[in-house]
Amino acid sequence: MIRESDDVIVKTLARLLVPFIVAYALYVVMHGHYSPGGGFQGGVILAAAFVLLGVSHGLEKTRRRMSEKVAGIISSIGVFIYGGIGLLCLILGGNYLHYGKLSKILGVDTAHARSLGILGVEIGVALAVMAVMCTIFFVLFTVGESPEDDGSVE
Amino acid sequence: MEVTLLLEATENAFRILERARAHAVGVLDTAVEFVAEETRYCDAKRCQVLFTGVQRRRTRFQNFLGTTFILFAFWMLLSGKFDAFHLTLGVICCAVVSYMFHDLLFANVRFGDMRIVAGRFIAYIPWLIQQILLANIHVVSLVVRRKMPIDPQVVTFKTKLETDISHVTLANSITLTPGTITMDIKDGVFYVHALSQKVAEDLNAGEMEDRVAHIFMEADHLYVQDVLDATRIYETLRL
Repeated sequence: MIRESDDVIVKTLARLLVPFIVAYALYVVMHGHYSPGGGFQGGVILAAAFVLLGVSHGLEKTRRRMSEKVAGIISSIGVFIYGGIGLLCLILGGNYLHYGKLSKILGVDTAHARSLGILGVEIGVALAVMAVMCTIFFVLFTVGESPEDDGSVE
Repeated sequence: MEVTLLLEATENAFRILERARAHAVGVLDTAVEFVAEETRYCDAKRCQVLFTGVQRRRTRFQNFLGTTFILFAFWMLLSGKFDAFHLTLGVICCAVVSYMFHDLLFANVRFGDMRIVAGRFIAYIPWLIQQILLANIHVVSLVVRRKMPIDPQVVTFKTKLETDISHVTLANSITLTPGTITMDIKDGVFYVHALSQKVAEDLNAGEMEDRVAHIFMEADHLYVQDVLDATRIYETLRL
């Protein structure tokens, strides 16, 4: 169990940096189809922000923002978005993840529909990766303890 | 007989006047104390903010808006695409992030002070760069000399700063200046490694600490200002 760090410098700088890291991660996800980056990279940066918060402010405070339960739900939602978009293309008469077919329901031309479809898939991937990374982090650092413990194990 | 009565009366009058003056001075004393109490990051105000729900929600909303603005500026800097689609994406993302992390960026700063703090911080940077250059020259002069007259020592001092952000600013300023490194901060006590006697003396003079206190409008800095103002009032009263 990671307790709250007693180093004021680490704590304060982590507090100031976390919003910027998350914003940067979202930028990487949202611009994935124009520039380097994408769902996986953005998701990992997102998870890094939570890991930084957990290391500096302790797991208890991190759980208030991202608990194991929420992480599990979000990872499922991410996979659902990915698979949902793929299946939607199948239903509309194309192949799996054939984004061009999405132009029928989005009401834009094929090229634009591909761009939007890739964006949606990337958001799904980012959510799934972020949640799974957070879950791994939580599991590794609470090994051998149940969440009901007070964290008295050194 | 009448003369003694008169004398007694005047003495009484003087005594009353003296008492009145002492009373006035006492009142002023409490007033100064009150002002000092008011200006510091006082617990009373904090409690008031905490306990009145409306104000708390307002603070949260201000924090949310401020965080959104800063993050959106950061987003535009990164993105460089200014079409409607990307700007909308940016606003949505920044709002989501601010909603999740609105309590982190402005945790210990009152929102109304932000503009002054930012201005003073920017004004502080050139002075810091100048200090860094001077310290560079000093360290080079130490190293280049054949005898290398260094005198490594650990300086500990209790700081008068109160908030965590001012502690961090001071610690990082000390570390950025060549010759000194902040090793630890424990309960407001700084443990600084200094390379030579001159550097340690500069550190103990505490100019950097005063300037950091000035940036973040810390209690002691304002308190000194209050006392200076109050002495002027005292002097006019005494005359």
